[in-house]
Amino acid sequence: MDTLFYALAVILAGGILPLLLYRQFKVMKAAAVIATVVGSMLGLMALTPALQDTGPPTTTWAWQQFLTLTFSIDSLSVFFLVPIFLICPLAALYGFHYMDKSEEAWRIAVNYCCLSLLIVSMVLVVCADSLITFALAWEVMSLTSYFLVVHEFHKKETRAAGYLYFVFAQAGAMCIFAAFGLIYSVTGSFSFDGLDQLSSPLKLAVFILTLLGFGSKAGIFPLHIWLPHAHPAAPSHISAVMSGVMIKMGIYGIFRFYTLLGDTSMLPGQIILAVGMASGVLGVVYALGKHDIKRLLAYHSVENIGIILIGAGLGMIGVATGNATMAIFGFAGSLLHVLNHSIFKSLLFMGAGAVLQKTRTRHVDELGGLIKRMPTTGRTFLVGSISISGLPPFNGFISEFLIYFAAFQGLTLPGISFLFASLAIISLAVIGGLAAACFTKVVGIVFLGEPRSEAAARASEVQASMTLPLLLLAVLCLVIGIFPAPFVELAFFGLRDMAMIGAIEPGTGQVLISNLAFAARLFLGILLGVTLLRRVLYAGKEIASGPTWGCGFTQPNVRMQYTGTSYAMSIVEFFQPFVSIRTVYSGIRRIFPGATTYETRVDDIAEIGMHRYLLQPLVKILDRLRWIQHGHIQLYIGYIVLTIVVLLLVF
Amino acid sequence: MESLLSFMLALLLAPLFPGIINRTKAFVAGKQGPPLLMKYYTLAKLCRKGSVYSTSSSFVFKMGPTVSFTAALMPLLFIPLAGTAPLFSFHGDVIVLFYIMGIGRFFTIAAALDTASPFEGMGAAREAFFSTLAEATIFAVLILFYRVSGSLSLADYFHGENAVSLAGPTGALLLFVIVAMFMVLLTENSRVPVDDPQTHLELTMIHEVMILDHSGPDLALIELGAFFKLLFYSVFITHLLQPPVPAGILVNGLLFYGILTLVYVAVGVTESTMARFKMNLVPKYILTSFTLVFFAAILTMGFMQ
Repeated sequence: MDTLFYALAVILAGGILPLLLYRQFKVMKAAAVIATVVGSMLGLMALTPALQDTGPPTTTWAWQQFLTLTFSIDSLSVFFLVPIFLICPLAALYGFHYMDKSEEAWRIAVNYCCLSLLIVSMVLVVCADSLITFALAWEVMSLTSYFLVVHEFHKKETRAAGYLYFVFAQAGAMCIFAAFGLIYSVTGSFSFDGLDQLSSPLKLAVFILTLLGFGSKAGIFPLHIWLPHAHPAAPSHISAVMSGVMIKMGIYGIFRFYTLLGDTSMLPGQIILAVGMASGVLGVVYALGKHDIKRLLAYHSVENIGIILIGAGLGMIGVATGNATMAIFGFAGSLLHVLNHSIFKSLLFMGAGAVLQKTRTRHVDELGGLIKRMPTTGRTFLVGSISISGLPPFNGFISEFLIYFAAFQGLTLPGISFLFASLAIISLAVIGGLAAACFTKVVGIVFLGEPRSEAAARASEVQASMTLPLLLLAVLCLVIGIFPAPFVELAFFGLRDMAMIGAIEPGTGQVLISNLAFAARLFLGILLGVTLLRRVLYAGKEIASGPTWGCGFTQPNVRMQYTGTSYAMSIVEFFQPFVSIRTVYSGIRRIFPGATTYETRVDDIAEIGMHRYLLQPLVKILDRLRWIQHGHIQLYIGYIVLTIVVLLLVF
Repeated sequence: MESLLSFMLALLLAPLFPGIINRTKAFVAGKQGPPLLMKYYTLAKLCRKGSVYSTSSSFVFKMGPTVSFTAALMPLLFIPLAGTAPLFSFHGDVIVLFYIMGIGRFFTIAAALDTASPFEGMGAAREAFFSTLAEATIFAVLILFYRVSGSLSLADYFHGENAVSLAGPTGALLLFVIVAMFMVLLTENSRVPVDDPQTHLELTMIHEVMILDHSGPDLALIELGAFFKLLFYSVFITHLLQPPVPAGILVNGLLFYGILTLVYVAVGVTESTMARFKMNLVPKYILTSFTLVFFAAILTMGFMQ
């Protein structure tokens, strides 16, 4: 535990140093990056002893009488610490060249400070061992991430996005605190122990409240609304940390409280699975409909959170029905997908950030042909795209396969569980297909073909501190895909301290995983062979180059290329009642038509619904109470006194 | 050894069967048609040629044929052929194989978009959409097979003691699967009524339009990959139709290739008697196949608890 705290101290120093050194722009950034990287490596080292035994003892830290913070590490914490210590230093390194405006030195210093605070608070969330510690760390995490989102606060849309995020973070936190209050009212302590003693309706209430709270952080449908606004607004390496790591804290919360509550009835699993399927399918459909590259990636986070929850839901159903294999593989697939998603999603966000820095546009239909101008970014983005589509031989497939495997185990269950399991399989298949469709769109429109704008034609490769994290993450995607065994082991290890699953026999799934690895290597081997064969076939042949065959048309231009919008529209239309498409078309009226406009937008039904059925009625009610706010300080003090008197009289 | 020989034989015969389809179509139309070995001649011709690459394209365009060919070859290593066990097999291989076909499709689509051609983009969009829907049908079939046989590998489905077959106790359900898989075969291999391999109007095509810019050995790889893919789906259906005969490997092998030929003839007859669907009818067509299989899967709830 001590090593971990030293690591946190170093990371924190990496946040405070920039504030002191901000006049030396390069030195400041270097100090922050070095401290974050060193601190994270220390942190990873601190995890190695925890891997062997039952982990270090609980650390308690008391201040006065009323504030006692307790920390401990169990296997689940260890698992979630890995992505934190893996992704965050890479993001900090990426920021070195990404945050390149020396005239904004002070703001960048504050950004680094908030980033280090965010890392520290995420670590503390994962290590918290009491309700109060958890709540405190959770709030610090939400607040620092809010400040990171509003880094470019001079833009109106950034402020709006930040506000939306703030509302969702705090409303979610409120649900979590309400759950904590419920627990406290029964147990009378802030300890995590004794949660499994609650009565079952209370357990369900706590479960639902925490699901709302953690779900709004993780971005489950329909509580995901903040994601597609906050991610484009935040700097790209911050998006990478938030999407890759921070939203996983919501998943951690769900796992943690599921373990603590020990509720082995069917309902939690069914709820989680249903939520997961809805988030997964709709997330990817909306991603197809969006053409802002970062917004699209944000919707893919919703999708992947959906996949993670499908795994978790299958695991919970496995626990409820006593099907151990299903439980183990569901949870393990879910955990491994947490790690995998943190890798490829941060890779993709950083790639998008590189494109954004060089072209100053996020709209896919204004880009094109970037793989020739930005080879490293393009190639790594391609790797990330294949991984996130869940295709072998990359890492996304391994975790999805584990979840599939759990779902197939569930097919032997009777009645409703069979239906849930088969729906999970169908959803995973559809999600996989749509994700591949969406990422062929991104890769094809942004990186392949011809540039659609001046800015895209002039783009050049980004600097080394930005390409290095991209390369490392891309290599990691392939390594997990070809050598999955240690990583699956790690996921199994993460489940060790989840009591309801029971002990996992050593060697579980070993044959399966080695077979998966074999298939991936076989594929790569054959691919290599075919590539050589192709070389042989082309030896000594005449290779010419010319324009693309325009089917007889002799004057093609770049505007005739297929756009992202047209590529995705038929799929989006297919899902229509769940996706609202707005079309504005001026029409052609006269014989010699003038300028015509055509515009389509894909609107999020969750956003529309929440606006119409929650926000508008709320504003209407609150409008009636406007007279309470009148601006007279003395009356405000009167309110406070009155409240205290009433509270004293009542309690 | 048997497996290897059988595998090699299947690879050699793969370009023959599309010739059968063409001969069937010619027969129905009352024409003479191209020679049975036409596809071999085409492949040989393509391999002798060089290539022209578009100035718009990048390395992804050149990777497309290689990856899609590998992805089409892989499933044939795992599926039992002509009564012999497959070369490789493990529990869960079907999921891996259908995902490997997914990566082949990913690169075919990416290569199409790499040419900056509006036509190829159009074909790519359709391919991405329709294959996603077909994936739902395929996984519904896997669900049904798991319920019936408790297995997740092609070898267990079609080879050995507990092979799923029409003659078995759950044979009636397989009728749904045969129809649905035939529909998926037509979809995934761009045959009529989803796509038309013969048409030369680019706007109406799906698969053919995506490979317009490929030439020479690259095109040969794509073509051969397409034959392998068609062979895989046809073999899948053949196994469902083939009755278990307690005879030697030769009889079973001949029976297998006989039924396989019939499947190809069926494709040819379908192509001769049907017109291509309007594009907006294709999703409904694919979802019909999904509904058939999912209905069969639900039916298993009645007699298996």
